Amino acid sequence: IFSPVKGCFKWLQGDVDELFDVKNAYYIGSYQQCINEAQKVKPTSPEKETERDMFLYRAYIAQRKYAVVLDDIKTNSPPELQAVRMFAEYLSSQNKRDAIVADLDKKMAKSVDAANTTFLLMAGSIYYHEMNTDAALRTLHQGESLECMAMTIQVLLSLDRVDLARKELKKMQEQDEDATLTQLATAWVNIAVGGEKLQDAYYIFQEMSDKYSSTLLLLNGQAACYMAQNKWEEAEGVLQEALDKDSSHPETLINLIVLTQHMGKAPEVTSRYLSQLKDAHRAHPFLKDYLAKENEFDRLVMQYAPTATA
Amino acid sequence: MLTKFETKSARVKGLSFHPKRPWVLASLHNGVIQLWDYRMCTLIDKFDEHDGPVRGIDFHKQQPLFVSGGDDYKIKVWNYKLRRCLFTLLGHLDYIRTTFFHHEYPWILSASDDQTIRIWNWQSRTCVCVLTGHNHYVMCAQFHPSEDLVVSASLDQTVRVWDISGLRKKNLSPGAVETEVRGISGVDLFGASDAVVKHVLEGHDRGVNWAAFHPSMPLIVSGADDRQVKIWRMNESKAWELDTCRGHYNNVSCAVFHPRQELILSNSEDKSIRVWDMSKRTGVQTFRRDHDRFWVLGAHPNLNLFAAGHDSGMIVFKLERERPAYAVHGNMLYYVKDRFLRQLDFNSSKDTAVMQLRSGSKFPVFSMSYNPAENAVLLCTRATNLENSTYDLYSIPKESDSQNPDAPEGKRSSGLTAVWVARNRFAVLDRMHSLLIKNLKNEIVKKVQVPSCEEIFYAGTGSLLLRDADGVTLFDVQQKRSLATVKIAKVKYVVWSADTSHVALLAKHAIMICNRKLESLCNIHENIRVKSGAWDESGVFIYTTSNHIKYALTSGDHGIIRTLDLPIYVTRVRGNSVYCLDRECRPRVLTIDPTEYRFKLALVNRKYDEVLHMVRNAKLVGQSIIAYLQKKGYPEVALHFVKDEKTRFSLALECGNIEVALEAAKALDERSCWERLGEAALLQGHHQVVEMCYQRTKNFDKLTFLYLITGNLAKLRKMMKIAEIRKDMSGHYQAALYLGDVTERVRILKNCGQKSLAYLTAATHGLDEEETVKNHSYVFLKVHSDINAIAAKGKAGQMAADLDMDAPGGEGWGDDAELQLDEDGFMDAQEGLGDEGVGREEGGGWEVEEDLDLPPELDLPAGAGGGAEDGFFVPPTKGMSPTQMWCNNSQLPVDHILAGSFETAMRLLHDQVGVVNFGPYKSLFMQTLSRGRTCYLGLPSLPCLRSHPQRNWKDCGAKQGLPAVGLRLSDLISRLQQCYQLTTSGRFEEAVERFRVILLSVPLLVVDNKQEIAEAQQLITICREYIVGLTMETERKKLPKDTLDQQKRLCEMAAYFTHCNLQPVHMVLVLRTALNLFFKLRNFKTAAGFARRLLELGPKPDVAQQTRKILAACEKTLTDAHQLNYDPHNPFDLCAASFVPLYRGRPVEKCPLSGACYSPPYKGQICRVTQVTEIGKDVIGLRVSPLQFR
Repeated sequence: IFSPVKGCFKWLQGDVDELFDVKNAYYIGSYQQCINEAQKVKPTSPEKETERDMFLYRAYIAQRKYAVVLDDIKTNSPPELQAVRMFAEYLSSQNKRDAIVADLDKKMAKSVDAANTTFLLMAGSIYYHEMNTDAALRTLHQGESLECMAMTIQVLLSLDRVDLARKELKKMQEQDEDATLTQLATAWVNIAVGGEKLQDAYYIFQEMSDKYSSTLLLLNGQAACYMAQNKWEEAEGVLQEALDKDSSHPETLINLIVLTQHMGKAPEVTSRYLSQLKDAHRAHPFLKDYLAKENEFDRLVMQYAPTATA
Repeated sequence: MLTKFETKSARVKGLSFHPKRPWVLASLHNGVIQLWDYRMCTLIDKFDEHDGPVRGIDFHKQQPLFVSGGDDYKIKVWNYKLRRCLFTLLGHLDYIRTTFFHHEYPWILSASDDQTIRIWNWQSRTCVCVLTGHNHYVMCAQFHPSEDLVVSASLDQTVRVWDISGLRKKNLSPGAVETEVRGISGVDLFGASDAVVKHVLEGHDRGVNWAAFHPSMPLIVSGADDRQVKIWRMNESKAWELDTCRGHYNNVSCAVFHPRQELILSNSEDKSIRVWDMSKRTGVQTFRRDHDRFWVLGAHPNLNLFAAGHDSGMIVFKLERERPAYAVHGNMLYYVKDRFLRQLDFNSSKDTAVMQLRSGSKFPVFSMSYNPAENAVLLCTRATNLENSTYDLYSIPKESDSQNPDAPEGKRSSGLTAVWVARNRFAVLDRMHSLLIKNLKNEIVKKVQVPSCEEIFYAGTGSLLLRDADGVTLFDVQQKRSLATVKIAKVKYVVWSADTSHVALLAKHAIMICNRKLESLCNIHENIRVKSGAWDESGVFIYTTSNHIKYALTSGDHGIIRTLDLPIYVTRVRGNSVYCLDRECRPRVLTIDPTEYRFKLALVNRKYDEVLHMVRNAKLVGQSIIAYLQKKGYPEVALHFVKDEKTRFSLALECGNIEVALEAAKALDERSCWERLGEAALLQGHHQVVEMCYQRTKNFDKLTFLYLITGNLAKLRKMMKIAEIRKDMSGHYQAALYLGDVTERVRILKNCGQKSLAYLTAATHGLDEEETVKNHSYVFLKVHSDINAIAAKGKAGQMAADLDMDAPGGEGWGDDAELQLDEDGFMDAQEGLGDEGVGREEGGGWEVEEDLDLPPELDLPAGAGGGAEDGFFVPPTKGMSPTQMWCNNSQLPVDHILAGSFETAMRLLHDQVGVVNFGPYKSLFMQTLSRGRTCYLGLPSLPCLRSHPQRNWKDCGAKQGLPAVGLRLSDLISRLQQCYQLTTSGRFEEAVERFRVILLSVPLLVVDNKQEIAEAQQLITICREYIVGLTMETERKKLPKDTLDQQKRLCEMAAYFTHCNLQPVHMVLVLRTALNLFFKLRNFKTAAGFARRLLELGPKPDVAQQTRKILAACEKTLTDAHQLNYDPHNPFDLCAASFVPLYRGRPVEKCPLSGACYSPPYKGQICRVTQVTEIGKDVIGLRVSPLQFR
């Protein structure tokens, strides 16, 4: 009785993106599913094949399996994949980063193939990791894909330019309002705007996890919404689910550090999460900030002293 | 008009609904009376005694009776329970047109072509009255439903109303004796008639076929051969024509009032049924048949059901759907009732009207879709002409007065169905079969063509179920593609489980349960209409048909839970309760017994402990359950609770549990059991059990063979002995043969007289005994090898058989065609491979070429474009972060720490509470900082984004934000308990540390009101008192106690400790220490003071007793032996550094945070209590609330 897809509604299949599932899984942070889908799908053209590989390898990068990417992508692979490889290389080793960035600067100084969106995205990602937001924005500005715009929004938000992020979002919405990326970007902007928009952001994450599957990305998004609304109990449930999925996910741990304090749990509980984070993710920006702040504290302490000593 | 049931038969001339049961009587032109169950759609009975057409038929309201009248001039009264005609009333002289029971009196009213109407008493079985006056056939005569009136219609073109009160008074007044009819006219001696004509209604200009009273108003409706339906009104004195409904274009056969609505139904020989609006006198609906003229109409007395008889049968129908529109979300039921949207809270059963619907549609709301995120509803209204259907989008008012709810302005558009697909999107199926996606403003966002789609259903976020002629498709709205299809005809409703993992598709007579991917899990067929359903919390689908509540497991198991009198619409199932709406839109809760489906569910899920628990507690044990378990393949479960050994035995065999079977077999000890057990055990290789079985059944042959194959020679030999004793020659010989015992064989042969054979055997194996013995092993081996050979042959035989089967198969099939096909396939494959290979190579080559040639060309324009854009693009500057705003908006230190602005935070703490040594604050600062930011992930593999929880997020806007603090006064206060415990257990240093953390945390609080400010200050005081006291006590314990001065100092410190403000439980301990020390020092007077203070605190009995003893001892010599620096009566502060009393009036320096006192030399030093503040520093003071800045 059951017949898959084929059949009466075949005429609907016209303008379907054959890579939809692959991309969608990637964007919502369901990386293994993205890899599975990518291995299942049979692209109809070489361009699609490259595009599929691009998402496949980026999913591996997101899982921190850099070696797969570095080994698989050869020098004769298409330029799009070369860009992905560059990003993988950048993330895989701390000490090569300067060289890669220098190399990238050179490439950017010359002219860039604006049609190679992947290159722009990867370059933008590297600059963003370097906290060189100017270069990141300049790079992304050349691309017109939804993902370029989404990344632009992310960079703008990190610069606290909600106003510009909203403008960029409007552009995305004009292009395709219902696209997963547009929805996600809407959620990010909504979180930044705050107030009533927080609930909207929450619903976006909720709808996605209803529709596809709940992922660490979506759960932490929901948790951020809840916490921004001071709904700590609700956030606890969501973060617990995230913790069950991956007990050492850095963003989950950071959010738990925030949450446990706000819930008035014993300081030991909080410091346990902090130690876990220090253990597994030494290079995480949060910890970098944290250490910098500790140093700053130590420096500032020097400025004060009692007028008399015992 | 909705047809519920149809029959095919000879022309139907009369109809009557049973008032309670789902039955309808149809009297036919061929003389038969049929009794139908219109719900089950079955013919219950047939009554065939009339000769010729039966036109009159009527159920009695209370008794199991009905009356019929036919063209054979006979009135028959029947008992349907006894299934026979009770008696026949004779008297009419021509065809009888109608027969009716009186609703109260034992009367039957009949109208006849003999121009008379007669009233009969069916108890005395006599005619009690004859109404004469009509001068043509009387086509119809009916009693008034409440008054003593009769209405009749005749081909003399008149309708007459008769007053029969005289008849009632005479016959039924107390003491009256019913008399025989006196003369045909019913006129008594004094000329007074029992029944008199009250009104003669003239207006029809052809013969009148039917006339009926309105159930409550003084109205009459009539239908006539002049093709008109007329409404008449009457009062005590007169009756007049009110109106005429024109429209039928042939003789009107019958016309009735709708029992509950302002409607008239009529049918006619023009093959139509028409519905008329009583007040507007216009046609509302018309229902036509192609070939059949209509003859009669019947209305159900209680339900919204009608029946109409025509040339080739009858139909049972209703005018409109009675299903309420409803939607369930969480604990809330939303439903439409009387133009109101109502909300029912399942938990509290609070039922409120939340809004009034816009009027203007004559059709009831067909379906509803509710959006919890936006608190909005879509209400769809179906018109008779589907193309005119509309939907309304309403936003439900947040607060409303249930008595008089708001009537918000909705947005109305045309469309067949509207369903939410996301928080801010809904899908509309329009009449052009396009799928429109609209936003909350009711604007079209997207349009998708779905030509064969007839209906759409909700399917979770972003998806829809589309129904076409023969299936349902799961459709992704975003991608515009179908994800899965399942074949099921005419799905009417779709019910998703709470987690949307399962869906039930309900069609008229079928239910299909699918998973999220629309893969069919089971199919259930129902003979009766499926009405509604809901998922219970354990994943069982509970549904209703017209007359049952039933369950279905996703495995396909289904059954009846209970029966229903009337259809209901299930809204929710929780535990034993089925929440539902009935046809009057009343929310109801029915109780069901869920044991059966819970049991089956537990079985399906293999939760056997649950199963057993249920079996034991619900006393389910019975043959049916065991049979069920056996049938469904759970013999091992059934085994658990079966006591009957016989059943146990067969169950055990069924599930292959030999041990249990053996037990049972032992208990039963029946030959057949042992045999069956033996077979089963043999199959499993349980040869010990097999042996036992063979022994019990004394099956020596098999036993012998068993010993042979198991190689048990000792037992085999024993078998030989047994055979010998039993004088079983062949058994004996066989055993000897198996054993290879030639001497024995020779002996047997000899004994049974086969001397030559004995000789032959002996000769073959050697004559003398030695040789025989020698050959023993050989023969044994040989026998074995024989057996092996046989076995091998058996195997070979099997193989041969396989080969044999293959061989003819090959011949049969091995024709050229197949070979060719194969070859072709192979060739194709090869070609395909070749092509692919070539293609790929080409592709590769081409790519290389492209790489060589194209990039420079491509790069240039792109680069130029990029460069030009670069020129225009100016990267934005950094914006104002929320943390910066926090610093701007607040003067509270914690806000600055949360914002990460340590510098300003320190400045504030310095200025407010005089902190100069920030070292101990480090962990508090870092902790506080770490709770100021949450993070969420943007694009994969990028650094996460930060969000900043704010305590005034609801109304802070973009600029007025303040961070969520995350440190509560109440939490600090509760942490005190821990410190107290540490103190009690004497871990003073740990306690001090903790008290200090609390103390240092207090300046990092944010509180809302004055009381809390005071509490915060009090908290500081408590911490200070403990820290000072405990530090001093720690110090004291370190001091030497060798000299008297040293001892005196110890006592002093112990005494000072008693002046710290501690909890009573601690003060008891402190006072006891001081008391003991002073007593030992023989300072009895002071000790007595401590003892009294101690007793005041109400210590434990043993402590109190001892204290009293000491006190008594002290009081004997109430003096102090030594002079100490301690005056209990002169109030003092304790210097927290030197631990000496600072009596009132002497100069003192204080810590700006803790308020600890110091003697002046300590000014400017670090406070011993806080370890962070400067003693005697001039400060603003503790600031923990914005109130303190106003």
